Amino acid sequence: MFRPPPRASGYLHTGYGEDLALLQTRTERTSLAVFVVLLGTFPFVASPFALDLACQVFLASIGALSLMLLTGYAGQISLGHAGLIAAGAFTTGILAREISAPFWLTLPASALTGIVLGFIFGLPSLRLRGLYLAVSTLALHFIVIYLGGEYETKRGFSTGILVEPPSFAGVRLTDGRAWYFVLLAAAAASLLICINLLRSRSGRAWRALHVRETVAEALGINIARYKLLAFVISSSMTSVAGCLFAYYRGFVSIEAFDLFLSIQYVAMIIVGGMGSLLGALLGAAFVTVFPYLIEALLRLLPNIQKLAGDIFAVNYAAFGVVMILFLIFEPLGLVGIWRRVQSYFLLWPFKYKPLAGARK
Amino acid sequence: MQLAVNIVVLGSIYALIACGYVLIYRVSRVLNLAHGELMMLGAYLLLATASLFNGHPVMALAAAILLSLLAGGLVYIFLMRKMTGEMVLAAILTTVALGILIRGLVVLIWSAQQQYPAQALGVANPSLVLFGDARISLWSAVLVATTILVYGALFGFLRFGRWGMRMRAAGQNPLLAAQRGINLHGVYALAWCLSTLTGALAGILIAIDSGLTTSMPVIGLKAFPAALVGGLDSLAGALAGALIVAGAEVLLIYYVDPLLSDVVPFLVLIAMLIVRPWGLFGTREELDRV
Amino acid sequence: MTTPLLQVDKIEVVYKRVITAVQGVTLSVAERQIVAVLGTNGAGKTTTLRAISGFLGIDDARVTEGAITFKGTRIDNGQPHDIAGRGIVLVPEREKIFPNLTVAENLAAPVPRGTGSNERRRLDERAYHFFPRLAELRARTAGLLSGGERQMLAIGSALMCRPHLLLVDELSLGLAPVVIQDLTRRLTTIRHELGIAILLVEQSAAAALEIADYAYVMENGRIVLDGDRERLKSHQDVQEFYLGQTGGERRSYRDVKQYRRSRRWYG
Repeated sequence: MFRPPPRASGYLHTGYGEDLALLQTRTERTSLAVFVVLLGTFPFVASPFALDLACQVFLASIGALSLMLLTGYAGQISLGHAGLIAAGAFTTGILAREISAPFWLTLPASALTGIVLGFIFGLPSLRLRGLYLAVSTLALHFIVIYLGGEYETKRGFSTGILVEPPSFAGVRLTDGRAWYFVLLAAAAASLLICINLLRSRSGRAWRALHVRETVAEALGINIARYKLLAFVISSSMTSVAGCLFAYYRGFVSIEAFDLFLSIQYVAMIIVGGMGSLLGALLGAAFVTVFPYLIEALLRLLPNIQKLAGDIFAVNYAAFGVVMILFLIFEPLGLVGIWRRVQSYFLLWPFKYKPLAGARK
Repeated sequence: MQLAVNIVVLGSIYALIACGYVLIYRVSRVLNLAHGELMMLGAYLLLATASLFNGHPVMALAAAILLSLLAGGLVYIFLMRKMTGEMVLAAILTTVALGILIRGLVVLIWSAQQQYPAQALGVANPSLVLFGDARISLWSAVLVATTILVYGALFGFLRFGRWGMRMRAAGQNPLLAAQRGINLHGVYALAWCLSTLTGALAGILIAIDSGLTTSMPVIGLKAFPAALVGGLDSLAGALAGALIVAGAEVLLIYYVDPLLSDVVPFLVLIAMLIVRPWGLFGTREELDRV
Repeated sequence: MTTPLLQVDKIEVVYKRVITAVQGVTLSVAERQIVAVLGTNGAGKTTTLRAISGFLGIDDARVTEGAITFKGTRIDNGQPHDIAGRGIVLVPEREKIFPNLTVAENLAAPVPRGTGSNERRRLDERAYHFFPRLAELRARTAGLLSGGERQMLAIGSALMCRPHLLLVDELSLGLAPVVIQDLTRRLTTIRHELGIAILLVEQSAAAALEIADYAYVMENGRIVLDGDRERLKSHQDVQEFYLGQTGGERRSYRDVKQYRRSRRWYG
């Protein structure tokens, strides 16, 4: 898998608190502080378009983090991610429409839907692995989508469900900047949850069963329990992302949750770099920004009139190409590139040399 | 009676598509999720050759089929060959990405409108009357006949042909096959060519029968459960699975709810995965090929 | 002195660019010779075989120094089917047959270069001639064969490729002593009738030394001893550590293998 980055040189901790701290070097602390300041001032200097883009990236990160947890760390392949987001979005939409449920009711309800669905999606993993598990998640995705479509047609929402913006203590959430901070907080919370989960017993159990299931079981790890746990936690996070998605867009329609969305999420964790939370974030950013990048690139070309109408097709084709390129040439993803750059600067002026014993 | 005819027609469609999945999986343990898109490509290639060979439908058909065969080989040589030896999951995702790429390219080249290859070819598609009051269109009948022919040819080839035996050997033990002088790249390329050929046949016949849209890959994806139900490495299984899935779909549409059509194959798939994951006739392998 | 059929010159094999599995190994196989490579697990024997047959790429390994020459041409780091075409055929340790094909199909699957159907029929007959038991099992699925029959089929299918040099990896693994004896005797017959050379990698030194003309002993990736059959059979260390005929006087750590060995050979 990947090498963890070099951190502090020398082990100078004098207490457990220091050992468990998330940020261990002064450089890490300062760079995080700088990053937080940048994030905080961004909404006040950015255009509404950039603000919307950032919000989309935050939303996508939640889903990407949960999928990375499930596939990158616990090793359970899931191609049904879009179905889970749809479930969260539809729970929100249905509750908001049918019984005018407020935000603080729909959010937990979405999480609950995620938990139940996660359990169902996770049941095949007790018996299947690899390709067959992926196929079962695919099938479940289609079933969820079908149920959503059924609801839409049967209840007459064939063009989709409109969702009112949520309100906190009487204040309606419609401002772009406000949404930015809400989604940033949600993404940061997901990241912290994932980091802590991975440092806990569950995280260690997931890593163990990812690498060698039989050995993990021999060591006393309850495989079934942890597999289901991975699915349940990941799915509830994803459903919450779906709920936020419904409120942010203000509109829920089953067509937005097709197989391509699932593939996009899988692409996020692959392009980002499997087995790394940073990879999930980088991948989410990349895949979200990608269509806009392509559009911008197209505008630079002279004869865009012909292609302007087929922007979706161009996106598809470009997405396919980029995914293929990453799979063939850079299987470690963006994180791999990042780590290489990092170690180059950290080891400079030395270059990477093979270990002793490789040469006489 | 009409129901039975529908089941046979839909079953033939699924069977013709499913054997493409089985061929590649059996030989290289890779699941080609771009099969639906490659199928669609074959039909669009027919549009191109139809306008090229205006007035000669037979030549147009032959050219389209040949081009598709070539396309399959090219996909292997330039793309999948780089993924042999990598994790199977990576190879599957590569096929997914390829499918997405093909979808985009097809719309860019031919536009997203519905096309009518039958008109382009200049062939008619009359409705034939079978026993009772069951009707079947001409080209649906052609499709059923084609499926039977293709399966017969494939069975014979795999069991008795020299390259067929090499394909079976490479599927079981690629390392040993390479050591014994079997050209693995050649075998894999052949599997891809044959798979794309059968897929293109299906795509072309479906397009002639009922028009061509860019959502044809959905049928390809629905045929995948047929392959899995029968066993991903068994041709006989693909045939059986296709009939089962088609039967379930037609009956459930008729008696329960027409909207079910897209989801029935996956319900059957889930049921089979619960009961017998390796399918009806598949070899019981370790289920963790990642 | 005639040039040997196979000459391995001070090769070094490195896995994943960091792990040196084999260092400074030199061995040679002359025409019609049976050479054995002995050693315990992890000595580097299979790595050497893989280096010769070209199958290092699978485990991300390379021959980084030295040369392997076969009939005058260098073949190190070559392609497996290329090397097989030149006449070096490997009988692998595991996965040596096609389990779902019948015995006859297993023998028909290999593709020797440039053979017509007459020639293939002759090769077929030849395989059944050396292993009559296989002729009775022609229609049996190969996965259902017993261990000894499976090994016979593996050697038979290797013979179908018309080797000049046969590499056999761990012939005796998992087989009863009677079966091993039978197989080694057949290998001698094959060498005698076909005039091919055989390179045998074996953990069971007794079985190997019965038929080998010359043998090498490997430890930790190096060759520590070589000689013809008589010399090795009478060598004290080989007797004690590989043939199990202890002198019985080991009492202190000074008598432990490494210590004694290094004192005797390097000290």
